Amino acid sequence: MTDKLCIVVTEGTFDKATMSLMLATTAAATGTEVHVFYSFFGTKLVTKKVNPKLPGMWRLLTGMFVKRMKGIGLGSYLEMMQQAKDLGVSFYACSTTMQLMGVKETDLLPGTKVLGAAAFLKLASESQTTLFIG
Amino acid sequence: MQRDGTLDARGLMCPMPIVQLARRVKEMKTGQVLELLADDIGAKEDVPAWCSRTGNELVGTEEEGKILKFYIKMK
Repeated sequence: MTDKLCIVVTEGTFDKATMSLMLATTAAATGTEVHVFYSFFGTKLVTKKVNPKLPGMWRLLTGMFVKRMKGIGLGSYLEMMQQAKDLGVSFYACSTTMQLMGVKETDLLPGTKVLGAAAFLKLASESQTTLFIG
Repeated sequence: MQRDGTLDARGLMCPMPIVQLARRVKEMKTGQVLELLADDIGAKEDVPAWCSRTGNELVGTEEEGKILKFYIKMK
C-alpha cells in the first residue's frame, strides 16, 4: 500500500503556505500520496486571488523573500502549487469555511475539491502521518 | 564512479534537489546509476532518506569541497 500524508493548513500567511507546499511536494516526490486540506484562513490559499504575505510587520518583506527564494530555485507560490499538482498532490477546501467566508466553488483554483470534516478525517485515518500547520 | 547520467542540482535548496531527482529518475532504467550533484547541506540527509523511502539504492557518496555527490542505483 502506498504511504499517505495529510496536511491541514489553517493560516493563509506566506510562511505557512510555503512550508506546507514544500512538505507536500517533497512527500509526493518520494512516492507518497498527499492530501492538503485548507481550512479557515488557509482557505484563501486555494482561491484564484491568492497572494500570500508574511505575517505582521514581516509583511513588508514578503517581496524580498520571494526574490531570495527564486535565487535558490524555488518558484512563486502559484508555481510551487502547480509543481505540487503535477506531482499528484490533492488539494481540498473546507466547505464550512467557504460558507463562512463567502468563497464560491468558482473562486477556487482549478483542481481543488470541496470537502467536509468527515471526508477529511476519513483520509487522515488512512494516513500514516497527519501534519497540522496553523 | 561509473554513471549513466548526471543531475546537477547545485544552487538549488530543499526541496528542489529532491523534486528534480524524482523527475529525473522516471527517465532512467533499472540498474542505471545517476550521479546527483548538490550543494544544499540538507541534501546530506535528504538524499539517503529519499533513497530508503523510494527503494532506490545509494551506492556511493563523495564530497568535493562544498559539492556533494551522490550515486543512486535505480530500482
